[in-house]
Amino acid sequence: MDHIIQKDFEPKIIAFVCTWCTYAGADLAGTSRMQYPANVRVLKFPCTGRIDPVFILKAFQQGADGVLVSGCHPGDCHYIAGNFHARRRFAAFRKLLEFVGVDLERLQFSWVSAAEGGKWVEVVTDLTEKVREMGPMVEFKELALEEQWSGTIDTPELKEAYNQI
Amino acid sequence: MQKYISQQNLNILLDKLIAEGTRVVAPRMDAGTPLYEPLKNSGEMLTDQLPRRSAKEAFFPVCEEIMSYEKERQQITLTDVDPARFPETVLVGVRPCDAAAIPVLDAVFSWDYKDEFFLERRKKTTIIGLACTIADDACFCTAVGLSPSDTRGSDLFLTPLEGGGYACETYSDKGETLINNHSGLFTRQSKTKTLPLAEPQTEQIDLKKVKKWLDEHFEDPLWDGNAVRCVGCGACAFVCPACHCFDIVDEGTEKAGKRRKNWDACGFWKFTHHASGHNPRDLQPKRYRNRIMHKFKYYDDKFGQTLCTGCGRCVRICPVGIDIAAIVEDISRKD
Amino acid sequence: MKSIDTSIYTAVTEAIRGEAKRLLSEGQISVIVGYVAGRRTGSAQPIVVTNAADAAILIFTPACVNNLAVYLTKAKKEIPKSGKIGIIVKGCDLKALVGLMGESQLKREDLYLIGVPCAGVLASTMQPAAGLTADTIAPKCRECDAHLPTGCDFVPVAALPPQLQLEGVYTAEIARLEALTSAERWAYWKEQFAKCIKCYACRQVCPFCFCEQCLCDRNKPQMVETTPRPAGNTAWHIVRAMHLAGRCAGCAECERVCPMDIPLNLLNRKMAKELKELFDYEAGFEVNEKSPLTTFTEKDDQSFIK
Repeated sequence: MDHIIQKDFEPKIIAFVCTWCTYAGADLAGTSRMQYPANVRVLKFPCTGRIDPVFILKAFQQGADGVLVSGCHPGDCHYIAGNFHARRRFAAFRKLLEFVGVDLERLQFSWVSAAEGGKWVEVVTDLTEKVREMGPMVEFKELALEEQWSGTIDTPELKEAYNQI
Repeated sequence: MQKYISQQNLNILLDKLIAEGTRVVAPRMDAGTPLYEPLKNSGEMLTDQLPRRSAKEAFFPVCEEIMSYEKERQQITLTDVDPARFPETVLVGVRPCDAAAIPVLDAVFSWDYKDEFFLERRKKTTIIGLACTIADDACFCTAVGLSPSDTRGSDLFLTPLEGGGYACETYSDKGETLINNHSGLFTRQSKTKTLPLAEPQTEQIDLKKVKKWLDEHFEDPLWDGNAVRCVGCGACAFVCPACHCFDIVDEGTEKAGKRRKNWDACGFWKFTHHASGHNPRDLQPKRYRNRIMHKFKYYDDKFGQTLCTGCGRCVRICPVGIDIAAIVEDISRKD
Repeated sequence: MKSIDTSIYTAVTEAIRGEAKRLLSEGQISVIVGYVAGRRTGSAQPIVVTNAADAAILIFTPACVNNLAVYLTKAKKEIPKSGKIGIIVKGCDLKALVGLMGESQLKREDLYLIGVPCAGVLASTMQPAAGLTADTIAPKCRECDAHLPTGCDFVPVAALPPQLQLEGVYTAEIARLEALTSAERWAYWKEQFAKCIKCYACRQVCPFCFCEQCLCDRNKPQMVETTPRPAGNTAWHIVRAMHLAGRCAGCAECERVCPMDIPLNLLNRKMAKELKELFDYEAGFEVNEKSPLTTFTEKDDQSFIK
């Protein structure tokens, strides 16, 4: 698969986090003035149990190069059992994504508590740097440019559209 | 005037067209499924299998962009698709059941609204039909007034000959032009016999009688009896050469997206779902009734044609074995 | 080519007719869902029979491929659901019914199950006149462990003649795909999903796709592109496979009905394999109210979580 190796590639990392633990942990990292890559875009959910696998799919489809899903440690869920359900769900979903050909190195799950500002920084930095090494995620972007043969007109404009994604 | 083209010359013709940049669409194998698709070279063309989908998608794509939008701050740019960009196409190896459906579709796409997406593609396409030497028990073209050698819809029609090669006959200016542009590849028809043509085992159905029954039996237990097994997918409508319903959707993000014309089917429960929440065809019998009515009555009422060419694709792929030929035969036997 | 011994199917047909006639005339059931012959030689289609006299048209042949359980779900409002419903089930169909009972969609006491001892059915009914051979038998039948359904109210003919041992195909194909690189797998599925035309036949025949409104049909919000192009098709199949994980009974109807021959059951079998390894779950004949993705244990695997 060819892609132009961009020297200025800045990975887009989408993080789906739970309000009560990871979001608070990220907040703590901020108030403690810890430095970490600014590539992460944080999406706040009440609980990891609310995170539907289809959100992860959509994130990749809309241009995310890496996705992080993070919540409370098992046993500490604000809603008692949300993260237990999420744990099972994601164990299954990542196998499906892997089977379809998505590189699981781009998808990271973690438990980060409200006190673990340092862990948040570590997890985000690790994922960002790993994805930076891997390069942009082109699979879904290239897929989005394909049409059925009957609806295809011509390709020069499509190449331009690719660069805009 | 009848001409002759050998298999080798046909391959040369197709390869020449491909090299010139013309899109040559013919039956070819795609990941194990025969489909009408653009050829990379003449060697890919299949002549012994009916493609799973019909040739209508050369004019009426499975999905096509008709407009795109971009939003930069408050600035919105709309870009229409330019029909001038539709490629020049030669459709080759089109079976009579597929070719005959195209003039039938012309009627609805040039009715009260001239659908430029369909009509521009039509203008730029030359259709080379091919007679059938094989049929199976799902084929029923003869029942609806067609045959394995019907030339309706074809600009140029090929009939396979004993010993190889094809007799060809032109039926339009486009066909004439194609032959004239490549006259070296066509010779005068020799006296070779054609290969025996397929013989679908169905008797001609009295379509007028069927229509009359449909006119008078909007309510009838036949609909419940047959539709109870229909699961409401769109497989029959999508593989059909004559079905032509579509949905216009806007898909994308806030920043950019496209308006598209995608295939739709009257079997889906949402097909007649109104914005108010009311759905006049809320149960499957009503939807299945619509399918038969549209094909054998409504289209005739409007355009004087039957919306079915007997290709049998719906019969072969229906998940629950609904056999439209059997249903119509049943109706034709009622008093 | 080796043909499969389907000699008992005639006896099964006779027995089904007799039992259906008895049940209907005695008023024990109000309706029976079974199979009837179609116009094309060797074909069969589902039928709903309400009179005892019509019981004589019921059949069981290798063309009886349909999973009739789909007609009992709330997605099919046309089937009269009053009184007891009789239904003909093969082993694979019964697993689906059991799954539906586990999800509180059906009550066992509302059903009269006529289980059939099944040697296998055709892979595809595009040419139904084909005899049942090792070549034409459905891939799912090759690795079937449910030839004789259990827990039914009536099973005509209590034993099957010895069957040909056929090698399963799904396990090998899944292993082959798992051994490829990510990029190779992506290319494989891209080629397959490109054929999809969003006819939704896979969804409509699936007994577990009974949602009143499918997530993928909603546009407020729109989670999955409806356009039948590779991007939209990939998203659709991923979402469906995930929604079936832990529920799919393996009837493989989705794969059979796909007009574009997409190997959908590979996705479902892969998920079934993962759920067996991860949570020791398998679809079977026992009603299980605890499905693997609606329950949890404190000790679930979290090796993939930092």
